[in-house]
Amino acid sequence: MSAKVKIYSTPTCHYCKQAKDYLDEKGIDYDAFDVTADKEALAEMKKVSGARSVPVICIGDEVIVGFEKGHVDRALKALG
Amino acid sequence: MKSARVLIYSMEGCPFCESARSFLRDKSLDYEEVHAPPGSSQWQEMKEALGTGVLPQIVIHGEPVGGYAHLVELEASGELYRKLGVSAPRAEAVIFDVIILGAGPAGLSAAIYTIRKMMKTLIISQDVGGQLAWTSDVDNYLGFSQVNAAELVKKFEHHVQSFNVETVLGNSIASVQLAGAVKSVTLEDGKTYYGKTVIIATGGGHQLLRIPGEKELAGKGVAYCSTCDAPLYEGAEVAVVGGGNSGLEAALDLVPIASHVHLVSLTRLTADPIYVDKVTRSPNVTLFTLWEAIRVVGDKMVEGLEVQDLRTGEVRLLPVEGVFVEIGTMPNSRLFIETLATNPKGEIFVDMECRTGMAGVFACGDVTSVPFKQVVVAVGEGAKAALSAYNYLLTRN
Ligand SMILES: Cc1cc2nc3c(=O)[nH]c(=O)nc-3n(C[C@H](O)[C@H](O)[C@H](O)COP(=O)(O)OP(=O)(O)OC[C@H]3O[C@@H](n4cnc5c(N)ncnc54)[C@H](O)[C@@H]3O)c2cc1C
Repeated sequence: MSAKVKIYSTPTCHYCKQAKDYLDEKGIDYDAFDVTADKEALAEMKKVSGARSVPVICIGDEVIVGFEKGHVDRALKALG
Repeated sequence: MKSARVLIYSMEGCPFCESARSFLRDKSLDYEEVHAPPGSSQWQEMKEALGTGVLPQIVIHGEPVGGYAHLVELEASGELYRKLGVSAPRAEAVIFDVIILGAGPAGLSAAIYTIRKMMKTLIISQDVGGQLAWTSDVDNYLGFSQVNAAELVKKFEHHVQSFNVETVLGNSIASVQLAGAVKSVTLEDGKTYYGKTVIIATGGGHQLLRIPGEKELAGKGVAYCSTCDAPLYEGAEVAVVGGGNSGLEAALDLVPIASHVHLVSLTRLTADPIYVDKVTRSPNVTLFTLWEAIRVVGDKMVEGLEVQDLRTGEVRLLPVEGVFVEIGTMPNSRLFIETLATNPKGEIFVDMECRTGMAGVFACGDVTSVPFKQVVVAVGEGAKAALSAYNYLLTRN
């Protein structure tokens, strides 16, 4: 089963790292994709988000472009 | 004098009168209002009774308590509810010695100094690290010949956290009330915090191009963080707008990844010679100096950037998939612009000791008029602001 939370990132992106640290801190399981190494993940990221910008965080049905704690918290709450 | 529980003497078009009204409404406290524009008989009555002609004036059970700032102070200490004989809606608010707004280099440095002066400190910020999150390496911070920006932020953060300082992160500041002896800061989630002093260290945000298509296509090809997003443009044709250090750094981030980089700058390149040299020697960079970006083209994703030659008026469409906007920063001063003095760029004016002109309110770092937006400058200014706040409290207590 795949995790309910996915995060697409690039290795140089500080916001991506902050987002992952934040999920770690909260003890949330997630699948992380490095879109510079994984072209399929890049295509998937563009498809689900319509964006070409990292991080993209998918929480349930919610797709968040960029890292904003408040938004992540709300989406996690909705997920239960 | 009337004997309503809370009476406000006010007039139309007076911002602090409106602040007082909405403050009381927010707290579900009833009030009566007397319209007392200067010169009116009501104003004369107020002046005789209270000995002042300044509006608004607030009277509680017949006792004059002063203006809006005094009202906020009374509320914060719980005194307002005691005077009204009602129970306070919450435990008495904590009043911090200092509230630091922003946890970039300036705010974090200020925190080290306020904590070591044993000031009760609160840091409120959207994120930690500020603009350092947008860059990869810092080469000019004393003591580090080259340091990864994320690591530098971690070091700053650990240093501050070793003192167990209170922080509220991940929330945006919605409004501030800076006048008076107790200042308040309200966040977007509705929570309010109180402090005897405030240090503003909200830094800067991306300067936008403000051209058609930019907003619509942000994140869809229009990018503001080359460190983050450059790797997504492998083999693509891209444009960078901006001829300063951050523009050329973005171009250099993209040179090894993109097929071609168009560098568009309104002015001649103003970046450090070391960057200019590298960029001009890159085979896949075309320079458009003295050209202006006028429109981002695209439906769901960026498909091009229209640029115009400032000298001839010629317009060209660059067939790019990415537009990296690197035209500098603008101060995050929107919340303060009505109460504090700013320069035409919106930067908060501060004196040599980081004072803003409003008693107990200090500012430091990129949000101020102090030139040279650099980490080391922000860190130094943060320390100054903290020591100034400390001195201010010493002379007040
Ligand atoms: C791409 C780039 C590269 C750079 N490279 C270097 C370099 O190599 N060397 C160097 O010395 N300098 C460099 N700088 C400049 C340096 O980053 C800044 O001078 C420095 O970060 C300023 O620090 P500051 O604390 O004043 O503001 P900022 O770093 O902007 O921090 C402001 C803080 O305030 C918070 N904030 C703002 N508004 C609100 C609000 N309404 N609610 C809640 N929180 C808020 C933000 O979240 C942030 O945490 C670079 C800047 C950029 C953009």
